[in-house]
Amino acid sequence: MNKFLLILFFVMFVNTSLLSEDNFEKGLRIAKESYESTRGYVDSESDQMMILVDPKGNEVIREISGKTLENDDPNDGDKSIIFFNKPKDVEGTVMLSHTHVNDDDDQWLYLPALGRVKRISSSNKSGSFMGSEIAFEDFSGNDYRKYEWEFIGEEEYEGEICYKLVSIPKYKNSGYTKRIGFTDKLLRPRMIEYFDRKGELLKTLYFEDYQLYNDKIWNADTFRVVNHQNKNKTIYKWVNRELNVGINKKDFEKSSLLRLAD
Amino acid sequence: MIYIKILNFALIVTFIFSFNVNALEYKLYGLVQPEFSIFTNGDGKHHQSKNNYSFFTKGNFISYLDERDAKITISAIARYDEKDSERRYIDFQKLKYEQYFENYTFKIGNEIIFWGVNESFNIIDIINQSNLAEDMTGTKKLGQPLLSLAYDNNYGTIDLYLMPYFIERKFPSKNGRPRLALEVDQNSITYESSAKEQKLDFALRYSMVYDDYDIGIAHFHGNNRAPQLNINPSTLKFNPHYTTLSQTSLDIQATKGAWLYKLEALSAKDGNERHLGVAGGFEYTFYGIRDSQSDLGLVIEYSFDDRNSYPFNNDSVAALRWTKNDINSTSLLAGMFIDMRGNSNRFIAEYEQRINNNIKLFIDATFNGSIDSQDFTYAFEEDSVFSIKLARYF
Repeated sequence: MNKFLLILFFVMFVNTSLLSEDNFEKGLRIAKESYESTRGYVDSESDQMMILVDPKGNEVIREISGKTLENDDPNDGDKSIIFFNKPKDVEGTVMLSHTHVNDDDDQWLYLPALGRVKRISSSNKSGSFMGSEIAFEDFSGNDYRKYEWEFIGEEEYEGEICYKLVSIPKYKNSGYTKRIGFTDKLLRPRMIEYFDRKGELLKTLYFEDYQLYNDKIWNADTFRVVNHQNKNKTIYKWVNRELNVGINKKDFEKSSLLRLAD
Repeated sequence: MIYIKILNFALIVTFIFSFNVNALEYKLYGLVQPEFSIFTNGDGKHHQSKNNYSFFTKGNFISYLDERDAKITISAIARYDEKDSERRYIDFQKLKYEQYFENYTFKIGNEIIFWGVNESFNIIDIINQSNLAEDMTGTKKLGQPLLSLAYDNNYGTIDLYLMPYFIERKFPSKNGRPRLALEVDQNSITYESSAKEQKLDFALRYSMVYDDYDIGIAHFHGNNRAPQLNINPSTLKFNPHYTTLSQTSLDIQATKGAWLYKLEALSAKDGNERHLGVAGGFEYTFYGIRDSQSDLGLVIEYSFDDRNSYPFNNDSVAALRWTKNDINSTSLLAGMFIDMRGNSNRFIAEYEQRINNNIKLFIDATFNGSIDSQDFTYAFEEDSVFSIKLARYF
């Protein structure tokens, strides 16, 4: 009898809690589940290419390669190293980042012309990455801890019913006031609209070429960004991406920058 | 010199051997750069010439061995200059073999090692010799032959350097512009140390990152990189004399959001005299000015030294750096150097932008204001100059 009451109580409690989940809680839950579905990659290695297109259709190519290390600490961000290859004048430059959730990242730059490692300010997360329409903060745009979330309904996007989510950056130096995005039922972000500091529509990011990595993690291998204000486009492609490759953790420390640089 | 020969031989043998490895993993890149300068004060103080052309090239070859646990790097620069014979040279900035172990790195060969945090007054940077024929401010360096061992753990990195051969400071020739008041006689070099250029110099550095702070503590003992320049009354040339220097230094950078705070300090015994130097300042960046992608950075630095003879004994610099953050990486640096003791001042501007994926344009300007006749830069008071450089990368 006691057991029955307990189960009854439990079922009622769970039901009530699910029923009482408001749109903010639901938005946060979906965002958290979406983020967590991309975790467990351990580390990754990839080559990345960007095509920058101006309104006249002129194209410029950027090439980098990168390594990332997942942080076991759930309250801290991942670490990454970027090797710049194109344009040729930045070849040999290396950038190391220790990201943090709602604080400035730690960033070091190796400048080959001076043979010098410089600690740089990273409070400019809203700045353009290599002259593209992608900002530094967009790379960690799937980290649910960086935003306040709200679920505002379900809508069809490219023939699939998706969750429609509004997210507001917690980071005080963010370049955005708001984002509105679609996340599909496999918890993959499909499209995000960004609103600038004045509240006007700035750009749309489309997540394309989803691939299932290591039988468990969906990664979009193309980010396509259309800027509605300056009419520029950026196509960002990941190629040769590999997860869980066993990179030495020490590679992600400042002391290894000179070793990894040319 | 024998050290250099053995070193070069060993490296070339290793290099050739590395080609026998089946799948040689390597990178090759560099640049060629024609340059043209126009001086705005006619022929100047030393009756040099109103304009000058020059040609600069740099090549980098990096070969990875042993599944990237070892590496060979060759990085060479060369210049041809129309007027200045001292600006016709080749220098192996890097010509080194490195081997990596779990916590150790071993290195042999020519290398460029930078110490410090400042933008302008790099007073503690001592491993490499300055190439004044390239740049009178001393920021351009020559490769230093060395053996080094680095050890790192969670508490930081310790670097040990042994430098078996000394590289003399390079000065502009009589026809170079700018140049010193007198020609430097590179055939009349003297040393405090009886071992002269074969003195075994050594250096030790401990560096660490603690939260927002990057900290380095270092000691150097060896031939001073900066010679005393004594006038030889019979030739009316400068004779360089290299004293023995023991220098202990500290460098700290604090990174606090858009603020960078920088400090370099040293205490050194040069010959029989001890001196103290402190240089530092801050850098602040305004991001996204006027709702654009542009950034505007402000740099202010000050340098103090208790020697009267030291050029930057009471000097400051204030500079603005504008970066457009556009596709062409357009940027402009404009700054003012002020000697607070002699009231000398100098204005510099550096503009750069990419023309396409492989070509970049640089326009530099230096304007000398009033310069005190006691200041060593008085010799180039009339050398205000515009330079255009076009780099083609490969």
